[in-house]
Amino acid sequence: MSENAPHAQHPSHAPRYVAVWLALVVLTGLTYGLSHVKLGDWSLVIALAIALTKATLVALFFMHLWEERGASRLVLVVSVLFVVLLMTMTVADVATRFEPSTPAGAPLVVPVAY
Amino acid sequence: MAAEAAHLAEHFHDRETQAHASRLGMWIFLGTEVLLFAGLFVGYAYYRFQFGPAWAEASRHLDTTLGTVETVDLITSSMFAAMSLHFAHKKKHGLATLMLAITILMGLAFLGLHAKEYLDEFREGALPGRYYHLTDGAAPPLRGMSMFFSLYFLTTGLHGLHVTIGCVVLAYCAVRAGKGHFSAEYDTPLENGALYWHLVDLIWIFVYPLYYLV
Repeated sequence: MSENAPHAQHPSHAPRYVAVWLALVVLTGLTYGLSHVKLGDWSLVIALAIALTKATLVALFFMHLWEERGASRLVLVVSVLFVVLLMTMTVADVATRFEPSTPAGAPLVVPVAY
Repeated sequence: MAAEAAHLAEHFHDRETQAHASRLGMWIFLGTEVLLFAGLFVGYAYYRFQFGPAWAEASRHLDTTLGTVETVDLITSSMFAAMSLHFAHKKKHGLATLMLAITILMGLAFLGLHAKEYLDEFREGALPGRYYHLTDGAAPPLRGMSMFFSLYFLTTGLHGLHVTIGCVVLAYCAVRAGKGHFSAEYDTPLENGALYWHLVDLIWIFVYPLYYLV
């Protein structure tokens, strides 16, 4: 029976949790520090890359996806896939528009509530 | 055998299958949560494209220090939630309950810090939509700044609601952990409660750089 116990494949890892926590704190410090550096367009890319790394750490180790079975992993992968799809399509649309086609219109001609 | 059968519904072959089914159900729910927040993040991407300079300017009105403290606070609380599950598996019920209590306290601290942020923003006039009346310095307000605050209040408000629900769920788990209900053989409410809490943490990991560190 013991090999069928729910957490036979879920050994508990207290040291691992602490290590992941440390990594998360360091990455938070890193992203905070980099926000004071002028990196131009790269700042968003780097900030998102760090956030993605942190999120992966949380999902894999705090949320046990590392030792989880296929189906549960698949759910997160699929939902992330749909987020990426929604995000890329929207951004691709907005990024390739030219001025007169934006709903906000050309430079301010109408008074706008700020 | 009676104890082993205690938490096994008859339509499952064994507890492993049952536990896996419950985790899968939780993950599907968390998937919908991801998509719920995704809508707000896509809105964010759209308006950041439209109002780039306003976004940078508006972000400067958020308290970055408080935001960073909140981030570390949530990350740490997530670790304590994971630890609680660890101790529950080892049948150290007192420690499991203590870890959950710390998690909840850190969650409440997060809400408190956020309430302070909201108060500062109310005072400053950094409000969404037509309530926006931010006046500082000589620089004229930029078009789109009120949009930043609309999305900021929506996203952090929805996230705060999740933190509140998470605290209630974990409080329920803490009571049951205190009674010694959880072990390596049966941990479904605690595991799913902790998963929910980690997801709330995970979403904040994206909120933090996107709103506070533009």
